[in-house]
Amino acid sequence: MARARRAQGELEGQVLGALREAGGPVTAAWVQERLGGDLAYTTVVTILTRLLAKDVVARERRGRSFLWTPTADVARLAALRMRRLLDGERDRAAVLASFVTDLPPGDERVLRALLEAAGPGRVNTRNAAPSDDGGTED
Amino acid sequence: MGVFVFLPLVLPLTAWPVARLAEGRLHPRAATRLLTAIAVVMAGCSTLCLVLLMVVGTAQLPGNPLPDGWSDPEVGAAVPHDEIAGRAAIPALAAVAALCGRALHRHRRVIRLARRALTGLPGRAVCVLPDSTPYAYALPDRIVVSTALLDGLAPGERRALFAHERAHLAARHHRHLLAVHLAARANPFLRPLRTAVRYTAERWADEEAAGTVADRPTVAHAIGKAALLSRGTPAPTLAHLAATGPVPRRVAALLGPAPVARGWPAAFTTAGLAVWGAAAGTLVSAMSSANSAVTLFLILRAAAPL
Repeated sequence: MARARRAQGELEGQVLGALREAGGPVTAAWVQERLGGDLAYTTVVTILTRLLAKDVVARERRGRSFLWTPTADVARLAALRMRRLLDGERDRAAVLASFVTDLPPGDERVLRALLEAAGPGRVNTRNAAPSDDGGTED
Repeated sequence: MGVFVFLPLVLPLTAWPVARLAEGRLHPRAATRLLTAIAVVMAGCSTLCLVLLMVVGTAQLPGNPLPDGWSDPEVGAAVPHDEIAGRAAIPALAAVAALCGRALHRHRRVIRLARRALTGLPGRAVCVLPDSTPYAYALPDRIVVSTALLDGLAPGERRALFAHERAHLAARHHRHLLAVHLAARANPFLRPLRTAVRYTAERWADEEAAGTVADRPTVAHAIGKAALLSRGTPAPTLAHLAATGPVPRRVAALLGPAPVARGWPAAFTTAGLAVWGAAAGTLVSAMSSANSAVTLFLILRAAAPL
């Protein structure tokens, strides 16, 4: 069971990779052929359906079958899996070395004061874009 | 063996002063290595003594599978309060084994899931994932950074972030972290050492990053910005009443002068006394457990030759 799940997790990336190499909408049979013979057709369809649920592929009906197109790349799929791991694992802190740990409100005040005292104009983290004041450019 | 068999169970207390003082008084690299070594040795000695007590305790139980001679009064007499201590050691050792086993299992599981999540990505060392949540993690062999975090940092700060994470990988910090985690499971008195090593390992990577980008304030800003970016919705806790957490302390340390890489504090300073106290505690712990192990081995061999 665990082995089957693991195989599927790795296959998701392969199937998505094959779709991205296709260069257009393709059928599940095309994906199966592309990945080599040892995958059952139903397995490929199952994985495609899982990818659809994760919103990294789209499908359109063409006659009696579906045509599949990728809507995201392998990195997006990896990000989804990583998020699931990070959200689900309560004690990941014991295993993964995080760049920063949680910041309680009191610490936030201390931290802002420290950074403001150290150098003006570089503490604004509200906007996502990197500040363009060039303060840290070499 | 007398009371020596109990000493290693409580001697981790002698490492508390150094766990507290190492942060400010020792170079983070020296502190991480010293505290990890102390924790591993003390956890090993403590567990060995639990095993010895468990053997004595099990031999007293009716219907145990151990040789009959081992339940002789001479064996029990080797341990003070052998009936209580021996029986208490059985569940204690079981708890240690269960906790360590679970910690190892979770460790492997998280690493495996993370590796699986990243299969198929190009590049070996650095994975940049498109994600709106800012995070950066060091796996044993890979760095995972989200685009949300990178977008929030200036170019120099990104270099600091990657230098920090590469330092984790190069120094194999996950081994230190796992070692102190297991040690804290083996003996709860070692928990302050785990907390200290988690902090000093981050400080070590911070200092390596500061050396790589040759600009301490940039590293400080990278850490500060990353923490402000990734803070969640502040939970209504009592946290603000507690002492300042690790992130502001790391930033403050980087805004100050670089720590001296050279050696150890002089013996007759507070930090020096703490280091020597912990070293003496570790030595006594090792000698006590070795003494107890040899003594019990000789007693058991005399009681029932195998």
